[in-house]
Amino acid sequence: MIELAGNLLLLIGAFFYFAGTVGLVRFPDVYTRLHALAKADNLGLGCVLAGLALQADSLAAALKLLLIWPLALAASAAVSYAIANRAQALGVRPWQGEERS
Amino acid sequence: MEQTRGAGQDGGWFPYWTRRFVVFAVLWWVLAEGRFDAWWLGLVGVALATWGSMRLLPAGRHGVSLAPTLRFLAFFVWNSLRGGVQVAAMALRPRPDLAPALIEIDLSHLPPGTARVLMLNTLGLMPGTLGVRLEESRLRLHVLDARLPVVAEARELEAHIARLFGGRP
Repeated sequence: MIELAGNLLLLIGAFFYFAGTVGLVRFPDVYTRLHALAKADNLGLGCVLAGLALQADSLAAALKLLLIWPLALAASAAVSYAIANRAQALGVRPWQGEERS
Repeated sequence: MEQTRGAGQDGGWFPYWTRRFVVFAVLWWVLAEGRFDAWWLGLVGVALATWGSMRLLPAGRHGVSLAPTLRFLAFFVWNSLRGGVQVAAMALRPRPDLAPALIEIDLSHLPPGTARVLMLNTLGLMPGTLGVRLEESRLRLHVLDARLPVVAEARELEAHIARLFGGRP
């Protein structure tokens, strides 16, 4: 039962990673791509880690896996801000609609 | 010693540093995956971490109480879930149909420093918002779809963070 729930979470996590990557390819500019990566991939990571934690050998190992999530979240949030901030400083204008394509 | 004067004030029956010592000890236990073969190394590490944390963040100035923290965490987990689902749906639908915009919001209700940085970083994981520039109390956001109620949601997050830092909501 727990094995099944763990596998389900792993599949859901893989789905969000897939969606985030599709967003990275399909979204029009650097800002919108950052939205896709930061949000979808973090949810994917959370699901994958929760799935692995359910199948871990010990409580400590499970907690160690879950500890990765907030650390990766903090890093990802800071990196998205850094990239968006730099893009704006370089004068990259946000995509504004269908006028170009 | 300036820094040790406040210790003990906030800790009830125990000096304040014991709380952090316990937190770091649990962290070591987690990192070692529950094994105790190198407990002496862990003890040294935990002692150094406690000492460093008391030096860098002396007790007293940042007491965060439990109830607002739990409410903030619940709000954060729920909304990052919504944010992920929403952006995944946008990426996978036949036409992404985005309406991006840059907006500015005012953060002067939050104390400068940690509270504003937490707000900025959390917004990056909320539905549809991404921090672009934080200058004093002005925060510029990139939003994926300006038709969504992003400002109202940002204000709700701001109220949670204000409660977390003990200010008025």
